[in-house]
Amino acid sequence: MRPEGATNELVSDWSLMARVVQKDEGALSALYDRYSGLVFSEAKRILRDTGAAEEILQDLFYQIWRTAERFDESRGSLGGWLMVAARNRAISKLRRKTGKAEELDENTVSMHVDIESRASQNLLLDKVRAVMGSLPEGQREAVECAYFEGMSHSEIAAKTGQPLGTVKTRIRSAMETLKQVLS
Amino acid sequence: MTNGEHIREEDLLLLALGALPDDEATNLLAHAKSCAECAAKLAEERGHAATLAFAAKQEIPAATVKVELLARIHAEREKEEHYKWPLKKDEVRQIPSPKKDGTSMNEGKLNWLQWVLIPVAAVFLIATALMWKSNRELKAELAKANHDLIDIQNQRQRTEMIVDVLSAPDTVSVRMAGSGESAKSIGSANYNARRGVLLYTAVLPPLPQDKVYQMWLVPTTGSPISAGVFSPGPHGNRELWTATIPLNTQAKAFAVTIEPAGGVPQPTGPKVLLGAS
Repeated sequence: MRPEGATNELVSDWSLMARVVQKDEGALSALYDRYSGLVFSEAKRILRDTGAAEEILQDLFYQIWRTAERFDESRGSLGGWLMVAARNRAISKLRRKTGKAEELDENTVSMHVDIESRASQNLLLDKVRAVMGSLPEGQREAVECAYFEGMSHSEIAAKTGQPLGTVKTRIRSAMETLKQVLS
Repeated sequence: MTNGEHIREEDLLLLALGALPDDEATNLLAHAKSCAECAAKLAEERGHAATLAFAAKQEIPAATVKVELLARIHAEREKEEHYKWPLKKDEVRQIPSPKKDGTSMNEGKLNWLQWVLIPVAAVFLIATALMWKSNRELKAELAKANHDLIDIQNQRQRTEMIVDVLSAPDTVSVRMAGSGESAKSIGSANYNARRGVLLYTAVLPPLPQDKVYQMWLVPTTGSPISAGVFSPGPHGNRELWTATIPLNTQAKAFAVTIEPAGGVPQPTGPKVLLGAS
């Protein structure tokens, strides 16, 4: 007998999505099992609230179910889209913005790293953590303020007491390091 | 913000990371919508930014989230089935040939489904109602248990504080005695100036409703300090009352007076108990 989830990892995201379009709950369930941990962890890191993070997680997958036909490979990476959509929704909630979810979720996301299998997710977790751990404090802080707290560069400059140019340089340097490691 | 026609790479990165002010981001997104090259680059940058999600501490959501999601989907599907628009006349013609009893195959299937689905839905509804009721009861029980727990914790802290004060070597014990009409009344005070805690007890007759007993600490210098009002229990139960006093106040004596309900800032009524420190 195969371990649970093993079959799911052999099927690509877009193949599962094609089945979701046909209202196959099993396919949605497989996608949920694949990405729910990442989506929930990201939303919780931003909101620091389990209930609110769970709400975002459930709403995102419900949106996928309801509007599955709008998702296709032209959107790029489904996993990447989920990460970006979860982040946008969590930041909106955090900053009490009232943007429409549809507008927030129109984003296309291209990822050159595989995050469809559990093994590749674990590998990426290790790599990203290693990079973040190795960044100079100022760079790490700037990137985290932007991504996890939804702060603009000028807000980060005000918070850290650094000139705007320095903040931009720090963010650029941090992201360059991340891209190099991931490539 | 654009270099000629296209968005600068630095801005693309900041835009993908969500680090641009709203108005700036809106302008750039509008440009990206109409520029395939910038849209593609932005999608790449979003992909890089999305990997930052992996820096979050990984946690597993509660299993109930998935259960609720699937229940939401089931409910929606049932609703869709229920409100499905009836077939048009020309669509009816395409229904497979009728069975011998005169009903079409779909009709027969529908009837069969109705016989099965209606009881199932009823059972489901009853089960949901029971679960909702049970959930509400459990929540109430949980709230009461939490309340009781806080009470127990408060009582434990009070007991620990009393034991600490009574066993502290610098706690002073003073017996208070009545005189005249209250000659039979007695009381005691245990006072720790360093901790600013006074524990006292008294055996006193009940008072009319508009009167209370008020405990006083008489310092070596200055006016008496109120240590609270109290009323003996209906059966003369002996209780231990606690009061906080400004730290390191040296006491000369302790006294109990009868005052109007609610107490007074300085003693005005008859003294029923007195003890010198």
